[in-house]
Amino acid sequence: MPVDSFKYLPRSIAAYFQTLRVDRADPIAWTPLSKPLDECRFGLVTTAGIYDMERDPPFDADREKRQPLWGDPTYRRLGRGVVEGQIAASHLHINNRDILADVNIVLPVDRFAELEGQGVIGSLAAENYSFMGYQPNTIEWRERYGPEVAGLLKDEAVDAVLLTPV
Amino acid sequence: MLAQTFEEAGLSTVLVTMMPFWAEKIGAPRTLGVEVPFGHPLGMPGDREMQMKIIGAALSLLGETRGPGVMSEVEVEWPQPSDEARKDWQPLEASPIIKMMRDQAQARAQERRQET
Repeated sequence: MPVDSFKYLPRSIAAYFQTLRVDRADPIAWTPLSKPLDECRFGLVTTAGIYDMERDPPFDADREKRQPLWGDPTYRRLGRGVVEGQIAASHLHINNRDILADVNIVLPVDRFAELEGQGVIGSLAAENYSFMGYQPNTIEWRERYGPEVAGLLKDEAVDAVLLTPV
Repeated sequence: MLAQTFEEAGLSTVLVTMMPFWAEKIGAPRTLGVEVPFGHPLGMPGDREMQMKIIGAALSLLGETRGPGVMSEVEVEWPQPSDEARKDWQPLEASPIIKMMRDQAQARAQERRQET
């Protein structure tokens, strides 16, 4: 059965997404996978608004509360060994409880470490990245922070990225 | 959005989303759709098997040569009843934008009452 994108959405939010106009990427950018999975280095990127409390400050939720049409466009780094107790979340549009209980539902560091151990993938990068998904305006993602994270991933010789928008 | 930027930089991406409708609309390079509540793209907390099933499907899609704009789906059984899951992912406190829209709607309703 096809995935129903609106199954778990309140009607008002579903209607918002159904009528929202957006420019479709043209052409859609495309980088074919350059080598077999078991030779690829993977990076993980989520927009769950999580961060490592021991390394980074939260996303700026206070400013969003003052300016509801603004969302913090910056990003945070999460090491591959990050564990649940180090992680906090500043995403005001979801209940963060399940993510804080098991970060693998958005940033699967443990699952990819297992896949690395089994030889299914080549390796998992040392650093992974988190954005905060509420972005009424995506200019800064497009022009600054997206290319910056792409550069950091390339610096680590990453071939492929698993993206989990939240 | 980020997928486009990463692909332009020479990274292959696969997007795992509960909103394939939206991914198709914006033209994501590779999309795996999965019917789960918001905030749970890779499944239930603590459910390693469900997480691996979704990740496995995402990895298979990465090898696809059909793209760009290729879409696939993976079926998972969500263990909560739909009504409960629909409430459970939402923030305990309404988000700033939802609050603002509610306030505006209330103000408009009040204006209408005063006019009549």
